[in-house]
Amino acid sequence: MIRWDKRIKLLFLLPAVIWVLTLTIAPLFFSLYLSFTDVKREVVITGVEEIPVLDKDGNPKTRSDGSIRTKKVKQKELQIKYDWVGFKKYKRVVNDQEYQDAAKFTFIYVIISVFVEIILGLFLAFLFNRRIYGRGFMRSLMILPIFATPFAIGFMFFTILFEISGPLAWMGIPFLSNHNWAPFSVMLVDIWQWTPFCFLVFLAALQGIPDDLIEAATLDTKSAYKIWTSVILPLLQPIIVLVILLRVAESAKLYDYIASLTKGGPGTATQSVSFLVFNKAFKMNDFGYASAGSFLMLIVVMVFVMLFFTRLRKTYE
Amino acid sequence: MNKNQGSLLTSIYTIIALGITMIFFFPLWWSFSNSLRIPKETFTVTGVGIPFINFTPTLGNWTHQLSFPEAHIALYNSSFIAVISTALAIVVGLPAAYALARFRFRFPPNKDITIWFISQRVLPPAAAVVPFFVLWNMLGIYDTKFGMIIVQTTFIMPFVVVIVRQTFLDLPIELEEAAMVDGATHIGAFLKVAVPLSVPAIAAASLIMFTFAWNDYFFVSVLMMKNFTLPIYIAGGVDSRGVQFWFIAVRTMIAVILPLILCLLAQRYIVRGLTLGAVKG
Repeated sequence: MIRWDKRIKLLFLLPAVIWVLTLTIAPLFFSLYLSFTDVKREVVITGVEEIPVLDKDGNPKTRSDGSIRTKKVKQKELQIKYDWVGFKKYKRVVNDQEYQDAAKFTFIYVIISVFVEIILGLFLAFLFNRRIYGRGFMRSLMILPIFATPFAIGFMFFTILFEISGPLAWMGIPFLSNHNWAPFSVMLVDIWQWTPFCFLVFLAALQGIPDDLIEAATLDTKSAYKIWTSVILPLLQPIIVLVILLRVAESAKLYDYIASLTKGGPGTATQSVSFLVFNKAFKMNDFGYASAGSFLMLIVVMVFVMLFFTRLRKTYE
Repeated sequence: MNKNQGSLLTSIYTIIALGITMIFFFPLWWSFSNSLRIPKETFTVTGVGIPFINFTPTLGNWTHQLSFPEAHIALYNSSFIAVISTALAIVVGLPAAYALARFRFRFPPNKDITIWFISQRVLPPAAAVVPFFVLWNMLGIYDTKFGMIIVQTTFIMPFVVVIVRQTFLDLPIELEEAAMVDGATHIGAFLKVAVPLSVPAIAAASLIMFTFAWNDYFFVSVLMMKNFTLPIYIAGGVDSRGVQFWFIAVRTMIAVILPLILCLLAQRYIVRGLTLGAVKG
């Protein structure tokens, strides 16, 4: 075993740690601070300056008496004021109907899409684990959605769910214009993009199960159902839990699809927390509300991740 | 008898699998098909839109779209940001991956450092976005490629750390020891032995990181204005006359084609990469 110099150890690790620490933890603390403040952005006129008027060659223009023509220019400065308001923003967020609706939608969205993705992913993994023709080719086609640009995917589905002449128009479903259907349309996009991911992970896990284990089980029982529930699913369980964790954390960020597919509409039917926070911050300039709103979401996601923490820790021994 | 039954079952499963694959492939196909139609036909073609059978294909939309400088600027900005961020993430993240695989840290222990790296991919970016906006304005790097590169590098770095860490763990340490017996320094052993042997994993990590930097819209929409990237360019296909399907299709394809190719190239590492190293695949 080589004896590694302690300084070398730190030299390798620290740049990445410092980089990520300053750029994630620092903004988070700043965001925490902002959530307790009322941020006012004001354009303040700090003075008036006289500058010469230039002609198109860049030379100062002169008046008929020979003096240089000048114009007065107001000097503006963007000033940001932070007023400490305590928990006021949090109270407003919690009591805000719009935030409640967004939280409810995001919650239902995450539950349904992840549930469908897991079930469908398991089914597909089971199917592709069989001996079938052209498996490699179909597998390649199946996984294409994973890497597709989510924002572009939103637009793609906009053309596919187009109610007048889209390829699914024959179904007669108001995919995007009805406030009951629109949430499902967004879920459909998520399911389309991420079922292949679940499928791929489960397939890798299934192929990792030794054949003799399955063969031994077939000696006991002929029922495929029993083999699945008593042998395969228990073996897959840690991986299913991990995929659920990753998918929940990822789909809770929901923003891109909405920004291109529904813009939160119709009305506010598909407004996710991220989308609402974005609008509050950059359309209504309410940084305090946005920070408080996103922090509440952060806490919920953190609590969820913590529930899985011990298991996750074991994976990286 | 058994053999016949087996091949019948195989055929049935193949047909089911093929059907599902087609359904999943359809949206990409439809978009591609749309991009080859003359504008009027984007609303009238029925069926599954096969060129030459359902309609006469044309490259008109593509040449029209690609003739505008916006397309070139968007492509250039997106590639530039993604390439530089990926390179930076590798330069900074690779030594960390090596450190986590080879050295023992007591406080905090290695696995907690690894999990901490991963946790950034789990936390919602909405929580960090207002601070970035304010800070980037203060530092004067709002709406610059430089500012965007810093943000992207931060959020893609976990990929290289967890993917390549696993590969380093799988390398026999004797190779590095031998190099050091021959007089190489620690850094030399890392650069001349460990890194060259891990090139496939590093390449796969790069493809995944490139794609994530390329695909990002959330930070782009907050921190960029005039310096637009592909997603903003796609959004430009919607104007006051409504959504122009034929342009949207072309622009979507322009954005999506590169990630799709990279996806196929990185196939073997997607499982490990996207489960953040937890499933080896």
